[in-house]
Amino acid sequence: MKLLSRQALAGAAVVTLLGAAGCASSGSPASTAPQSSTFGVNATGMVQFWARTVSKTLAQKLVSEFNATHKNLQVKLTLTSINNDVTSLATSIRAGNPPDVVGLNDIDVPAFTRSGSFMDLTAQIAKLPFKSALSPGHMGLAAYQGKQYGVPYWGDLSVLWYNKQLFRQAGLNPDNPPTTYAQILSDAQAINKLGHGISGFTFAGDCQGCLGFTVQPGIWADGSHLMNGGISSQTANITGNSALMKALTLYREIWTQHLAPDNDRTDNGPTWGQDFVAGKIGIMPGGYGQVTTLAKPSQLGTEFMDTPLPGTNGGYSTFDGGDDFVIPAAAKNASGAWEFIQWVLQTQQQDQYPDLGATPIRTDVLTPAFSAAHPLDAVALKALGQGYAPPTLVYDQMFNQAGGPWFQMFTTAVYDGNMSLALQQGQSGLTRLLQQAAP
Amino acid sequence: MILVSPAFALVAVFAAFPLGFAVYISLTDWPLIGPYRFIGGRNYSELIHDPGFVHSVLFTLLYTAIVTGPILVVGYAMAVLVRANRRGSVFFRTAFFLPFIVGLATESFMLLLELQPDSGAADYVLSRLGLARSDTAWTVHYGLALTAICVFVIWFASGLTMMLLMAGMQGIPRELYESAEVDGATWWQKERRITLPLLRRNIALALIISVIGSFLAFNQFYILTEGGPGTSTQPVVMWIYEEAFVQYHLGYATAGALALVIVVAIISAVQFYLLRDDRPVRR
Repeated sequence: MKLLSRQALAGAAVVTLLGAAGCASSGSPASTAPQSSTFGVNATGMVQFWARTVSKTLAQKLVSEFNATHKNLQVKLTLTSINNDVTSLATSIRAGNPPDVVGLNDIDVPAFTRSGSFMDLTAQIAKLPFKSALSPGHMGLAAYQGKQYGVPYWGDLSVLWYNKQLFRQAGLNPDNPPTTYAQILSDAQAINKLGHGISGFTFAGDCQGCLGFTVQPGIWADGSHLMNGGISSQTANITGNSALMKALTLYREIWTQHLAPDNDRTDNGPTWGQDFVAGKIGIMPGGYGQVTTLAKPSQLGTEFMDTPLPGTNGGYSTFDGGDDFVIPAAAKNASGAWEFIQWVLQTQQQDQYPDLGATPIRTDVLTPAFSAAHPLDAVALKALGQGYAPPTLVYDQMFNQAGGPWFQMFTTAVYDGNMSLALQQGQSGLTRLLQQAAP
Repeated sequence: MILVSPAFALVAVFAAFPLGFAVYISLTDWPLIGPYRFIGGRNYSELIHDPGFVHSVLFTLLYTAIVTGPILVVGYAMAVLVRANRRGSVFFRTAFFLPFIVGLATESFMLLLELQPDSGAADYVLSRLGLARSDTAWTVHYGLALTAICVFVIWFASGLTMMLLMAGMQGIPRELYESAEVDGATWWQKERRITLPLLRRNIALALIISVIGSFLAFNQFYILTEGGPGTSTQPVVMWIYEEAFVQYHLGYATAGALALVIVVAIISAVQFYLLRDDRPVRR
């Protein structure tokens, strides 16, 4: 029984550890708004900054430069795992000892703003001269009931990658990348005919999050969304959604015409993009940072190029992924945190983002000089102005789970070819989750 | 009392308190963040009627039923092969035990690559043997995924069973076999009449470890199928994980975790009872 006891206690402890810090508190602090006119100006002391490991390079560089130029205010960086950053933050808030500023995955922000965990920054953001240039998707996810609880930190945007060499070999113009679904299909067909293991298109067909990241922008580009209404009154918009049907039909065509490799069906993420970087794929919807990380610098712009993710008829959009800056309501040095945030948002810092593997989150950074220096990131930045991210409390449950309604709908429509059943599944699944999450 | 107090304190802090606190959390609607309420046994009553939880429990039972027997049989066979100190025994012991040492998570990622249609080794080999198509997508079809994972786990876990049984076999006095040989016993008679009865405790231990491991299965399913297609290959620990860390229903997930603890405790107790050894322990 000794072994059994250990197993039992270990299992219970995993769940218990999450809440252990919560003994002292049964709630979270009510959201606060800074009152002082000196908030964020000439602050002193130490700022505790938690950033996800995915922004490690960016965060380390920014903190290093900030600390070198601010003698009286220093920032201490703590990197958090992408697998438990949300629970770590929640635990610290419950314990009454949160960091001063957090780079939080933007789709996770609504779960916290609803409970009043973050500082209301509406007045401070209103004073920013570049407020209107901030990423609309990031801003939307940090807004709740007319107030703004965060600002964009960095962008992880989806784009359409294509192989210029394969375009040339297939007789296509590499300076005329796809701007419609029809062109994606015809270009993929042309490249597929090259044979020798070359495929026209690729997608991570068993990676729910990857598909949400790359398929949804086409729907948004057509002016539609999968959910309507604000967080507290959202409804599913699946059945009868023609933009959604066109997007699913595109992937169905790609799949049935064998324009993508067979093993795309089981690609659940870890190997996503490897075949594209190996030069075997003509077109791949993916993350901007995904290919810039995998490919050699000499291949970027010469062999691999990006273009905004198109919709049916020439519009484009992007998934505004990445992180928002938020300040927990119980932060000890909120003034210092806001000073640091303002500094990061300045053009001088934003201009460094491309070299650090990230996309800036201010659309006004996109100047001719920026485009000349960073032509690939300029494409992503251009898309940022048309970008979006669905503000919902149940994004993970809807879009990132194998058993979630998004993937069930995609599978039924694309692999099984049953569009009407797929839409029914999507409508009922999203409706169920939205009703469960309703206040 | 003074001498045992440090151990008592450690158990209290690291075992009794967390378990007690887990029980408390399971009686609340503990969310990721924000206030919580005491809701009594509602989480437990909802568990029973939750089709997701019930399915995951049933799937876990099915998975356990499939792999437990083969792990024991294959482990026993390997132990028979390597129990004697012959030339090459050390090599084979190492080779058989190596999968367990490398670890389930690492091997699951490797298998994920080898199960890829067209490019993976599994399809290549099986298609050459005429047993499968070269574009078989193992991880996205329920039956294929379950088959692949069960074969993989049997390969992975048999090494540990082999070690447990081999240690027991090497402890059996050689004289017993020599006496049997003098009486004309065959190899099978010696195994059935000497080895198996004297391995009763080792077999019980191997089975209990195997069953508990199957009930706590997570890595292989999380990496290879993510519980899919749909939630058809979602074991109960993955259900708990997703309730806790995706849905952020921490109170409900804790109730599920404690229910699992109780189920595992009952099954292990039954195994202990059925496989008990009534021989007096020599002191």
